Amino acid sequence: MSGANEGSLMKLSKYYLIARNTWDETLVYRLNFVMWRVRVILGILTMYFLWLALLPPGQNILGYTRELMLTYILGTSLINSIVISSRTYEVGDHINSGNLSNFLIRPINYFGYWFARDLGDKAMNIVFSASELTILFFILKPPLFIQSDISLIMLTLVSCAFALVLYFIINFLLGSIGFWSPEVWAPRFIFITVLTFFSGGLFPLDILPKPIFSALSLLPFTYLLFFPLKIYLGQLATYEIIRGILISSVWIVILSQVLRFVWQRGLRVYTAYGR
Amino acid sequence: MDAVEVKDLKRYFKVYKKEAGLAGSLTSFFARKYEDVKAVDGISFKIREGELVGFIGPNGAGKTTTLKCLSGLLYPTSGNVKVLGYTPFERKDSFLKQIALIMGQRNQLWWDLPPIESFILNREIYEVPPDRFKKTLDTLVDLLDVSDILKTPVKKLSLGQRMKCEFIASVLHSPHVLFLDEPTLGLDVVMQKILREFIKEYNKRYGATIILTSHYMRDVEALCKRIIIINYGKILFDGKLSDLVKKHAPYRVVKVTLQREVGAQEMESFGELKSFTYPEAVISVPYERISDVSAQILKELPVEDVTIEEPEIEDIIREIFEKEK
Repeated sequence: MSGANEGSLMKLSKYYLIARNTWDETLVYRLNFVMWRVRVILGILTMYFLWLALLPPGQNILGYTRELMLTYILGTSLINSIVISSRTYEVGDHINSGNLSNFLIRPINYFGYWFARDLGDKAMNIVFSASELTILFFILKPPLFIQSDISLIMLTLVSCAFALVLYFIINFLLGSIGFWSPEVWAPRFIFITVLTFFSGGLFPLDILPKPIFSALSLLPFTYLLFFPLKIYLGQLATYEIIRGILISSVWIVILSQVLRFVWQRGLRVYTAYGR
Repeated sequence: MDAVEVKDLKRYFKVYKKEAGLAGSLTSFFARKYEDVKAVDGISFKIREGELVGFIGPNGAGKTTTLKCLSGLLYPTSGNVKVLGYTPFERKDSFLKQIALIMGQRNQLWWDLPPIESFILNREIYEVPPDRFKKTLDTLVDLLDVSDILKTPVKKLSLGQRMKCEFIASVLHSPHVLFLDEPTLGLDVVMQKILREFIKEYNKRYGATIILTSHYMRDVEALCKRIIIINYGKILFDGKLSDLVKKHAPYRVVKVTLQREVGAQEMESFGELKSFTYPEAVISVPYERISDVSAQILKELPVEDVTIEEPEIEDIIREIFEKEK
């Protein structure tokens, strides 16, 4: 076995362990986690029955038939688990508690640590979300739209990957507030509320008036939930898909540069106060 | 080779000054007044490989700041720091793999998981070969007697057990330099002793350079041949512990709790009366006379309780200072 290969595999194993430890941690707080999932399901069901009532069979609102809308609503649960579920907001706590120091003196990439942690969290959420949706499928027997085009399913997954990275960076930036303020929870709360709306977590964004929707499609949030779901529903032309992925990439590049700058500054402040 | 080389290290902190009251809040909103706190104000020293050195000083002396500069957590305001030939603040991976920093109250173990999971993770982070890891782990577990709690979630362990595991987690990668910041803070007497023994044994067995800070005289007495006294960011003494005690603290502190009122003059006949607020009296007695004087006290005074203690390091240092003046 070549030494170089061994070296690079060994380098990844720590991140695998971090993801796995996060998974194990979640299992320890089973009850908490289940209650969280119950909350999520209740949210989904509320929206589901709302649209079920608003859209009798055969009707459509602004291009959304019953099947498409209900698939969208149920789909947000799964995409949420892939893209939005994250622990990275804890960065703020690490900074304020001084726990960050434990990482600064270890040969581990701090961003890699959180990314691996998120993957562990996402894995648990995906398992639950998939199970819940299966159960709901058998209970509610919702009229769903099943995508048959494999290439579109692949593209949905690709856009999810971009969304995953994009949201990671956004969350990290939020956590970095901890360098300058002990109050991380309030901004985070406001942000999540705003985010749920702007990412299409409550309803498909294109039912909003066109000028508003066009403005929103320049922001990164649209590409977290709404965009992947639209691809899945087959409602986007190829050029629209490409454009969306390009805009996601541009946002990733911009925000990662911002993150790098913020982080450098933040570390100077952190080490200046010697926490 | 010198493991640590420090030349004229200075570390200043900017601290905001705010006047009390509403007027003060308004002023500080518009024009913040900064003050430079000179945590470390020009210190130099060298430490050879394998030495066990204690930094002592009262709270706020600059010990922790110095340790943080040595481990790379803080960058110097000015001066030169070299550890194992590296500039700590650059925090190169190859440097970090050779050092360890244990700060008393700070935890690195995953709270909800058994310690063994954190150990394994550290093995991967530091890229320790599996067979060396197993050998080191077995030795450490044996030394600290924790084999039965390796699979118990950390949150269920007592503070002492947790500290032992934190120690193990920190040295699994056999660091060449070990920084310990107040390692026995908050622990009971038994645990303090166990950890001290461990640190001593570790230094002997692995030849690691160990630098610890403490304000407990006992830590330093048990472990360090060489001590560096630091206060107000400056080194007051750098040398053998035995020299320091001989030179500066050849006395014991006798604390007497009286049953009846006694005149201050009578108290003074036993030694230097440091403080006297009935019923507590604190007398400083020269070391050679301690047995005679304590016997006298028990015989002649209406005593409820007597304790004989070593002088606190803070007192020794205060006295060194007063002598400096």
